[in-house]
Amino acid sequence: MDKLITAILDGDSAMAVSQARQLNASGLSPEKIIIEGVEAAMSALDTKCTLEDFNLLEIMLAGRAVMEVTKLFWPSGAVKDSAKGTVVIAALEGDVHDLGKNILKMVLTGKGYNVVDCGKDCPLQKLADTAAAGRPLAVGLSGLITTVIPVVRQVKGALAARGLDNVKVFAGGAALKQSTPGMLNVDFVAESAFDVLRFLSGLGNGLG
Amino acid sequence: MPELTVITGGTERKITFPGGLPLRKILEGAGLLVRSGCTGNGACGLCLVKVEKGNDGNLTKNERLLLSASQINEHIRMACQMAPQGDLSIRIIDEGAKSAWRELPQESGRPITAKSGQGTGTASPGKTFGLAVDLGTTHISFSVWDMAQGKRVFGRAGLNPQSRFGSDIITRLTAASESTDNASVMGRLPLEAINGALADGCAENGLHPADIRHARFVGNTSMLALLTGSSPAALLRPDQWTRPFDCATANAPVFAAALGIHYHASVVAVQPFAGFVGSDLLAGVLATGLMSAPGSLLIDFGTNSEMALWDGTTLWVTSAAGGPAFDGYGIRCGMPAGPGAIFRASRRLSGGGVDFHVTGGVRARGICGSGLVDLIASLCETGELAANGKFTGGITSYAVQDEDPAICLYKPDVDKFQRAKAAIGAGVRILLEMAGINTGQLNRVCVCGDFGRNLNVANAQRIGLLPYVMPGKVEICGNTALAGCEDVLLSLRKAQELEQIRKRASIVNLSRAPRFEDFFLDGLYLMPMPAGDP
Ligand code: B12
Ligand code: FES
Repeated sequence: MDKLITAILDGDSAMAVSQARQLNASGLSPEKIIIEGVEAAMSALDTKCTLEDFNLLEIMLAGRAVMEVTKLFWPSGAVKDSAKGTVVIAALEGDVHDLGKNILKMVLTGKGYNVVDCGKDCPLQKLADTAAAGRPLAVGLSGLITTVIPVVRQVKGALAARGLDNVKVFAGGAALKQSTPGMLNVDFVAESAFDVLRFLSGLGNGLG
Repeated sequence: MPELTVITGGTERKITFPGGLPLRKILEGAGLLVRSGCTGNGACGLCLVKVEKGNDGNLTKNERLLLSASQINEHIRMACQMAPQGDLSIRIIDEGAKSAWRELPQESGRPITAKSGQGTGTASPGKTFGLAVDLGTTHISFSVWDMAQGKRVFGRAGLNPQSRFGSDIITRLTAASESTDNASVMGRLPLEAINGALADGCAENGLHPADIRHARFVGNTSMLALLTGSSPAALLRPDQWTRPFDCATANAPVFAAALGIHYHASVVAVQPFAGFVGSDLLAGVLATGLMSAPGSLLIDFGTNSEMALWDGTTLWVTSAAGGPAFDGYGIRCGMPAGPGAIFRASRRLSGGGVDFHVTGGVRARGICGSGLVDLIASLCETGELAANGKFTGGITSYAVQDEDPAICLYKPDVDKFQRAKAAIGAGVRILLEMAGINTGQLNRVCVCGDFGRNLNVANAQRIGLLPYVMPGKVEICGNTALAGCEDVLLSLRKAQELEQIRKRASIVNLSRAPRFEDFFLDGLYLMPMPAGDP
């Protein structure tokens, strides 16, 4: 298991996949590999995500290794029937930046959430419809361009219009993280993708 | 109402204000500027003030993130983040863009005496002068020409005063779409700034602004839209990004009056190409003669870098907003090129340490873009910085100058630089992919913009900022946007040529390129750009 953790932290996708394959062949279940290997690696990465120590390259590489390992067991790339629940994520209308959202996806997937990705430049209605169909625990928004803020403010309303008042909404990314939840009309504003993990686990596992 | 005392330079000003308003707003209302790079939401951390006296309330979350411990100790605050309730006394640390114009360097623009200067063939007798302007987000450059002789009389470069609405185009477009007042002020500001500098330059050179009968503007699409009062809101929508964008035609009499030039002058803002590719890029292609040989690449470095690649049939163009790192902004020890900036650096061969060269022969105050390239490349060479952008051997920063002021390169600065470089690298590789050629097939790489002027090409290639081609194929071209604008001003044939260039151009939308993320990831590494697939 340590070798898998090291491979992920090094961002060595090929090594990570081969380690995961070996562990699986020796009788460990995919779930156990995710919880004890991938999640442990994510926790180690979390501590590197401080402002002083952040390195985008490192996070992107580790994220890719996580996605490769996930794909090995769930070829669609999402942990189906995840006990932890579903999170719907998007970069909203007017914002074509999706690198931040993709990192969020990798981190959440690595922690065993079922992530439904609505893509970038995503219309509000599409996000709300997807949420209505997926019964998610929460909706996550990534914003890199400041003009997307007015759209972010409307998300709760669009969810409420579909009876999804109790679905939590969180936001992050370079253009949003300076704001307070009140300014964005969301429940939580995260500095890094790892802050969201703490937020989500605080929600308990009651499905929304 | 409470009273605010503002100390700038040796003088004091007193302003009364309603409690609860952000300090930045109070200052702006009184016509006092503070440097800023965002909408005032706490993102840029540039709006620094020092609290001398009075209760300034608690630090916000953004201030705790962006201010250093020593700044907090010295009562430094971010003006947009604090909303004073009672009497307060402050000092503005940096007032931001002051519109000091400087002489345009001789090598800027086209050769001072044009070979093909036959003029636009105006009928008016006597001497006719013309004005060429490159309107950039940060800088404005212009030159005045004797049209008949095809000779440059003088040129000036200064800062775009619109930056008081924000340093990036998005913040400015947003401000303009929120209020028509903002929009009209932003349209006027550059003209007024040019007017002042033009009057000075004309006086020094013995001509009258009213002798100027022709004016041509090039610029990025957003700048031209703000100048001509065209819908700024449309430019904020991604679907407009790749569509042709028609700016309103310049209202010649109004522009002429604002510039103080001849009231019948012909004033033309050369139409941009599309939402995010301006006429500055088309002018650059014209000035470099990029389309004279296939396999020619042009990169105009800036906050929003524009690129063009000619493959013999199509001119592939795109833009990538890598951010202002190359202009020295957003980097803790960074500063724009100018006096006090380290513009070149190299590792001492023995004994350790860096040798650096400072503009203006004064003590170093910071590092500008070209100095940053040199420093990062040198640290990679000595192994102190790994290719992934992390310092080796347990250090987290590199001190260039210990004190007075301390100049230090921190890991987050390297990360910012990596991102800016990656955006450009990804843009270049996607253009190559569209054209179906690899770096080995490149015959020319034209490096444009102020940033290129002092660039060490070998270092830039070593860390993957420029494609790896024979050094002789890299040309440092300076301000090609202005040079192209001058061509258009002086020669009808050149103006027509620019329209031909427009017809051959095809815009590439990087946000739709499936391999953007892969290329961006590659580009984050501080190592030479891969040679490419085709
Ligand atoms: C790459 C890039 C692009 C690419 C995007 C490709 C893609 N597929 O994503 C392309 C070239 C297409 C592009 C286009 C544009 N861009 Co751009 N781009 C960038 C760039 C270089 C990097 C952004 C990035 O991906 N960062 C990587 C992410 C992962 O980092 P991060 O945001 O810090 O994210 C971390 C955390 O915040 C967190 N996170 C991210 N999201 C979320 C969400 C949640 C919920 C959580 C918890 C955490 C989280 O995860 C990350 C790791 O911890 C930046 C400049 C820069 N140096 O940052 C400009 C930048 C974002 N772009 C900008 C602009 C202006 C544009 C354009 C409008 C300009 C143009 N002329 O082309 C266009 C169109 C954009 C539009 N309408 O959306 C501006 C925005 C300015 C502003 N005021 O908002 C920037 C800041 C550059 C600048 N200074 O001018 N761009
Ligand atoms: S932080 Fe950008 S203006 Fe205050």
